[in-house]
Amino acid sequence: MAQILLTTTVGSFPKPASLLEARRKHARKQLSAEELLTLERRATEDWIRRQEEIGLDILVDGEMYRGDMVANRYYPKPAVVRPVGRRAPITVEWWSYAQRLTPRPVKGMLTGPYTIAEWSFNEHYPTRRELVLELARAIHDEAVDLERAGARYIQIDEPAIHTRPDEDFDLAVEAMDIVTKGLSAYTISHICYGDVPRIYPAMLRLAVDQLDLALKNEDFALLDTFKSPRFTKDIGLGVLDAHSHRAETPDEVADGIRRTLKVIPLPQVFVTPDCGLKTRTTDETVAKLTAMVEGTRRVREELSR
Amino acid sequence: MKTTVIGSYPKIPDPPAPGRWRAGVEKLQRGEITREDLRRVEDEVTVEVLTEMAGKGIEIVTDGQIRWEDGQTYFTRGLDGFSINGLQRYFDTNVYYRQPTATGEVGWRGPISVADYTFASTHSERPVKPVVTGPFTLAVLSRDEFYGNRDQLVMALAAALNRELKALAQAGASVIQVDEPGLLAHRDHFPLFRRAMDVLWDGVDAQRALYTYFGHIDGLYPALLDVPVDVLGLDFVAGARNWDVLRKAKFTKQLGLGIVDARNTKMETPAAVADACRRATAFVPASHLHVGPSAGLEFLPRGVAQRKLEVLAAGVRRFHEGGA
Repeated sequence: MAQILLTTTVGSFPKPASLLEARRKHARKQLSAEELLTLERRATEDWIRRQEEIGLDILVDGEMYRGDMVANRYYPKPAVVRPVGRRAPITVEWWSYAQRLTPRPVKGMLTGPYTIAEWSFNEHYPTRRELVLELARAIHDEAVDLERAGARYIQIDEPAIHTRPDEDFDLAVEAMDIVTKGLSAYTISHICYGDVPRIYPAMLRLAVDQLDLALKNEDFALLDTFKSPRFTKDIGLGVLDAHSHRAETPDEVADGIRRTLKVIPLPQVFVTPDCGLKTRTTDETVAKLTAMVEGTRRVREELSR
Repeated sequence: MKTTVIGSYPKIPDPPAPGRWRAGVEKLQRGEITREDLRRVEDEVTVEVLTEMAGKGIEIVTDGQIRWEDGQTYFTRGLDGFSINGLQRYFDTNVYYRQPTATGEVGWRGPISVADYTFASTHSERPVKPVVTGPFTLAVLSRDEFYGNRDQLVMALAAALNRELKALAQAGASVIQVDEPGLLAHRDHFPLFRRAMDVLWDGVDAQRALYTYFGHIDGLYPALLDVPVDVLGLDFVAGARNWDVLRKAKFTKQLGLGIVDARNTKMETPAAVADACRRATAFVPASHLHVGPSAGLEFLPRGVAQRKLEVLAAGVRRFHEGGA
């Protein structure tokens, strides 16, 4: 029998202080790109080992090469100034590097077209629709390349999807159709914050196998929403608050899973934190994930009795 | 006719300029400096922003809200009855704020923004407009664990913030702006909003400006004209429909003309700004126009915000000169 309640994470992990310092030095041109890359690779390998030790089933590369927000508010925001298109694969190299480090599956990690469009300035396209669909075609090509490289799980995050639910949720759905068309890999979309009940059940129309959602943040209140109509996709069940310092207990995690299993059938449930963990410390992250894996193990054991 | 801004301003300069505020926040998080040290950095950045706005041709400035964590925390942490909780997204932006939670009776225990207003005012060559997040918006962006009833929370906030507005007027503010973008996301609560405005502005001895943004006021107009304020600020970018909405009834207030897009780097032209001013004079005399960005400028890179203010001022000059 296939393993039940597979555990995974949403994508990001905290960067070690040495890497943060190296990024600052690199920005000041005091450190070469090669030296920075060496440190990013070392940090990636550290996170692959930690995930294996903790006992997670589906791994991520931890996004050691990506930037961070300042004070939860500021990030260098891209501006679209000419037609968008993909020059070459973007994520395949990092994915391949991470996958070579471990026999466990590593997720390919992409950001969805709606979110990229929504969180960029648009100086070029007359409408958001044109930009979103053009991005969708580029991201589809990237997903195909990840799959060809061997990725069995591909996550396409759409945290901005409920920005204007009345105005253009259909556009986000149409764009995801383009992104995942013809893929054989297992597909996931992470959606976080915002008013999830407002896009339910419409969100079940997104062309992915799994929706990854933050449940713990609101103490599993979303389960009420998912009772009717039924949650028809797999769920990435967020059981860890990504923005609290406190490590959840295994009991708390197990309890959240048990409550969920009353609403969503067992084969549809994957266990995960609410969101990326990059804003936690390494110790906090390890403690939280250890509790998550232990809590999941307890439920698996109960169910096998 | 005056040029003005809606409130916030980018805190971080464009690279490679040193981001003092950003570095300060990181140092505070690492425990290398104290709150007091960061406050001195905020003083410096505030003065820089005041000077920058004036230099770009803005006649009524704000302090840029450099000290604000966000529009909600800045006020609710100074009020009785609130704790500050987990991250939430601010309307349709990719900006997050910590959600205030009402856990007890809301009350005003003393001035929250007055010292910051006074600091800005004494360091500005131009009149400074203090900005206060309105009771309705604070309520819809908060979580209520005490009242169990939105009306009560809104009215309690209105009473508390009324004292803040009075304190600002007492400190010398000749104009006070209250932001209520939340109204546009909850239009069906207008009767409650209307009652809250009566309490909020009661006895406030200053020019009263109410600003909405992130959308249009269709469905709320002309009812909004009954709110006891002198200036009504509207977003003509995200709410381009406002041009049509204002035709529905005679506009009886001064108009905050939010015309420069505070949410996109695409640059306006002085001609387009001048044109919008001319269009607006169909509704109000030019002397009753407060021309500004569509919302706070915090969403833009610093250099783009500067250029947008220059374009704004150039557009208003062009309007006065009557050029095309």
